[in-house]
Formats: sequence, C-alpha cells, structure tokens
Amino acid sequence: MAPLSAAKPAEHRSSLLDRFLMQGGIVITFLIVAVVATALVEPRFLNRLNLINVMRNFALLLIPSLAQMLVMTAGGFDLSVGAVVAISSVVTAAVMLVGSGYFPDMEIAIILLSLVAAIGVGALVGLTNAGLVASLSLSPFMVTLAMMSVLMGIALYFTQGIPIYGVAQSFITGVGRGQFLGLPIVLHVALVVLIGCIVMQRFTALGRHIYAVGSDLRSARLSGVATGRTLAIAYVLAGMLAALTGFLMTSRLGSGQSTIGGTLALETIAAAVIGGVSLRGGVGRAEHVALAALFLAVIANAMNLVQVDSKYQTLVLGAVLIVALAIDRLLLRKRQA
Amino acid sequence: MSTPSGTKAQSIGPLSGAAVKDMLLAARLPIAIVVTLVLFGIVEPRVLSLGNFRNIAIQASYLSIFAMAQTMVILTRGFDLSLGYTVSLVSVAASMAMVAMGGGDASILYGVGAGVLIAALIGLANGLLIAGIGINPLVTTLGMANMVMALASTISGGFPVTGLPRGLTAEFAQGTLLSIPIPIWFAGLVFALLFLTLKATKFGRSLYIIGANPRAAVAAGIRTLPVLVLAYTLCAVLAALGALLLTARTGSGEPNLGGNLTLEAIAAAVVGGVRLSGGEGGVGAALLGALFITVLSNGMNLVQIDGYLQQICLGVIIIVSLIVNRDVARR
Repeated sequence: MAPLSAAKPAEHRSSLLDRFLMQGGIVITFLIVAVVATALVEPRFLNRLNLINVMRNFALLLIPSLAQMLVMTAGGFDLSVGAVVAISSVVTAAVMLVGSGYFPDMEIAIILLSLVAAIGVGALVGLTNAGLVASLSLSPFMVTLAMMSVLMGIALYFTQGIPIYGVAQSFITGVGRGQFLGLPIVLHVALVVLIGCIVMQRFTALGRHIYAVGSDLRSARLSGVATGRTLAIAYVLAGMLAALTGFLMTSRLGSGQSTIGGTLALETIAAAVIGGVSLRGGVGRAEHVALAALFLAVIANAMNLVQVDSKYQTLVLGAVLIVALAIDRLLLRKRQA
Repeated sequence: MSTPSGTKAQSIGPLSGAAVKDMLLAARLPIAIVVTLVLFGIVEPRVLSLGNFRNIAIQASYLSIFAMAQTMVILTRGFDLSLGYTVSLVSVAASMAMVAMGGGDASILYGVGAGVLIAALIGLANGLLIAGIGINPLVTTLGMANMVMALASTISGGFPVTGLPRGLTAEFAQGTLLSIPIPIWFAGLVFALLFLTLKATKFGRSLYIIGANPRAAVAAGIRTLPVLVLAYTLCAVLAALGALLLTARTGSGEPNLGGNLTLEAIAAAVVGGVRLSGGEGGVGAALLGALFITVLSNGMNLVQIDGYLQQICLGVIIIVSLIVNRDVARR
C-alpha cells in the first residue's frame, strides 16, 4: 500500500529546496547533525582510535548496504543479506581451518581460497534468489525471507551456534585489523566497492538496465533489456557483496560465527531507504547510500560512547528508520502540494 | 476455503478428468495435511495417536490465531513484521502487570488489560504510519519490530517473568470446556468472528477492495485511513490474545516468546493461499496453513529432526507453496 507517487525527479519547477532534497540533502543534513551533536556531547568521538573504529564499522555496513541497494533499485528486496554474511563467515573460517591443516605453509593461498569459497556461496545464493524471483516471478520479499530461514538453519546446523576458531593469524592482523595509509584495510575495500557501484550506475549499460528493470519491468523488456539476466546479475552481485562482508567480518572477529548478521537486514534496508533508495525500485544512488551508512555508523558509535545499552540501540535504529521515512514522505507530499 | 480455483471445481454432470484435477487442486492443502500425517506415521506410529492429534490441535490453535491476525493485513497488501515481537512484549508486559498486582487470580484481568492496551498502541502506530503518512508497510513494521523487540528485552531485563497466577495456566492452557481445550475454543472464536467480519461487514469487504486495488478503493469512496488503522490494530490485538494464551501455556512472561512467530505466521498464511499481492484469501486459508505447518513441525519433532534442519524445511516449504499457489492461480 503506497499509492503516493515515487520520488522521481519532478523536472518542471526545480526550486533550490527540491534540488537539495534530490541530491541527498536529507542524508547530508542528518549526517552533519549527528557528527556535530556527537562531537559536542562526547569529545572522545574525535579521537583518532575512535574515528578508525567508526570507519571500520562504516565499511562493514556500507558493503552489505550497497548489496541491498543493488537489489532494491532492481525492484527487489533482500532479507537474506544478514544470513549470507553469517554463512559466508562460517565458510571462510571452515575452509581456513581445514586448509591450514593440510597446507600449513601456504597461508596466503588458503586465505584466498576461503575468500573464493565464501564469495562462491554468496553468488550461489544470489543466483537462487534471482531464479526464484525472476524466472518464477515470486515475491522477492517472501523468497528472501524463506532463504534467510534456510541459510540460518544451514549455518547453525553445521556449527551448532559455536564459533569456528583457528583462523589464520595473518588474516586477522593483515585484513581485519590491518591498516594501509593510516586507514583500515576494510575501509579501502569498501571504498573500492563504492566506486565500482558509482561507476556501474552512472556509466555502464548494466547500471541503466538495473534502473530500467526496477522502475518498470515490462517496458524494460519491451525496449529490449534482458530483464532476467539483469535481475540475476543484481542478485548475484548482492550475494557476493554480502559474502565479502562475511569474509571481512570473520577477519575482524577472528572466528567464523553463525550468529552474526542478525540485524543486518534491518540496518542495510535502513541505510538504503535513508539514502533515498525507493522501495518500489528504479531510484537510488550508491553515494547517498554511503552517506546514510556513515550516518548510521556515527549514531551507533555515539550510543556506544555514552554507553547506551545495545538493546536500546536497536530501538533507536528502528525509530530512526521510521522517522527518516516519515520526514521523507511528508516533504515529498509538501512538494507535490 | 478460498483457494483460487475453488469456483472452477463446481462443474455439474459426470466427473471429467479436468474436474477431478480441479477438485484435487482445490483440496490440495487438506490432502497435503493427511499425506504428511501418514508419512510421519509410517516412521513413527505415535504421530497417528489420538493424544497426538489433540496436541496438534492445541499447537495449531496458537499458530492459527497469529496467522489469521497476519491475514487481516496481508489482505490489504500490507504486512506486519512486528507481530512476533509484539507477542514477546505483550507476554512480558502482561506478566509484569499481573505480578505487580499481587499475582492472584484477580490480577489476570490487569494482565489482559495491559497486554491488549500495549498491542493496540503498537497496531495503531503501525496503521497511522502506513495509512496516514504513507510509509511502506514492510519498512514501517520492520522498524517497529526492532523497537518492540528492544522494549521486550529491556523491560524484563532479558529474563523470564515468573510468579504468575496459578489460575492463568490452569484455566487458559490446561482448562477445557465440553472436554475441548480452551485454546481451541479461542482459535475457533477468532475464526468465526473474522470469517463473519470478512464476509458480512463493510469493513471486511473494504479490506479486500483496498488490497485488490487501492486506487479503486479510494474512487469507490472507501476511507482507507480508518480501515487500515483498524486492520493493523486488530492484527496486533489478536496477536496479544495469542500471546496471553501462550504465556498461560509457558507459565511465565518470555521475552523470546515470539522470535520465530513472524515467519511462521506469514508462512502459514502464504501456504494456506493468502495472496501477498493482496485482495485474495481468507481466514480459512490461514487456519489450514497453520494446521499444515503444525502437522509438519509436530511430525519432525516426533521423528527427532534437528531444530535447525526444521528451520531449513520451513524455508523450503514456503518457497514450494509459493510456486504451487502461483501455478494454481494461473490456471
């Protein structure tokens, strides 16, 4: 039930406010307010170590949020993001544990092998989602909800909820806790993914096709877009990005955990919609999603600094999601009036 | 009940092959329930015992209440992802209210009052955000789900609330009326009321019209705001009823009571044939769906299938039934 028209550019009379809103103005405002308020209330926020921590969290939220954005701009929905993160974390650690037993001297090769395995699993999940959504035209919401149940079941069945230790030490120090040019490695990875997404959306046929499929599947097909293939690529890329997140999280935690990613579906959807991705598809930009993810990482850090119970943080996250959408809706309505 | 091909099966005269096929498709869920029972019964004879049938009926009555609640909003193209955690919050809050009022049997009323009030507020908020402001129901109720979950686990400190009135469990979980367990009465009552509401009231018909075509509903003069707000409030209040019955059964207020219920309730409704795109299905479908899922999980429990494997099965069942229902709808 969402009868109001989409937030598509109303070209006829673009006032300054309109353009500001279209260019992600709400997110930027949110972000600036959050940063300034946090820095004023809690000066420790600006410590170098804390900022690096924020950047790590931001990076690990940004990658799956971009995955969510890819699927949502293609008109879909992915509730299985968190479950893919969990299962790929388990796969990463399991491959590393088994591999280092056989080849103790080839640490780097085994780390790469575990990355390939995890991303392969993510791609497979994405392909399955896409097959069910695109070929059988089932509801993406239900398909990915069911997929979440299946994946969590698999991850928990094989680990019984117990973390898998025995991850290579160089993997932990080199990737998860490593830095390059003074910034966390995971941030570099996330920024590369972000730039890849921006380039894809702005300059490639694939990017245009995803928008086309998301805004109107039938007219996209009529104008010659290979809709099934486009959807498949969107879901597979999303699965691979979620798996990459699981790989990186494993290196940060130092173990493979089947219980991570529980709130990621919510967080990535929050980042995407606060970043202006339309739930009806066809609208959304990677750079705005990145700003929204940074905003969420900042408020999560602020709450940690002032020692808000992690359960209340979930409450705040839910409230922020609803309030951000309500503001968006009300502004849209005002502009249309 | 409301299976899409139900009307086609009413051909008159000698039964043609196609008519038989239509009838089988219309009755696919009852058939699936019987087949599932028999298959599990072959492996584990206890599945087919009278005592187990009674168990299944009791278990299904809880799930069916949640599935019917969910159906009321799915009919409008909506969703309530906060249903499961509403169950948790109501369980905890109602228990705390009962304990605070002395924990005697008279305090049950306060618990019921507190639970229903909280649920009504959640439903009201959902409805106003969705229909009043126009936020997507999935995201609204997803956000609400997390807020409610946080409340449920913080007000209780994460621990079960104990010291509930003895009468609660004795009457509302173990009690019987005409030798039928009380939970089954409640499920039957909810079914009857919702069935009549959907068939015979303006509100019920409005739900279908809004779900089938929101614009046509507005054009037809239906005031969608009050209808939707009522639908979400009704859904939450019914969830509260189920939560109170479940609390009576466990004998304590449980912050984790509703964790999987959102998925199971949606699964039951969808398996039963309630269309996610709105406007099609009914509470009968939800009831049958709930019965099927209960039979399945009861059977898996009795043949001792790992809980995590059951979770995998639930996901697969949802996808399979989506495919089957879609194919039936296309015929």
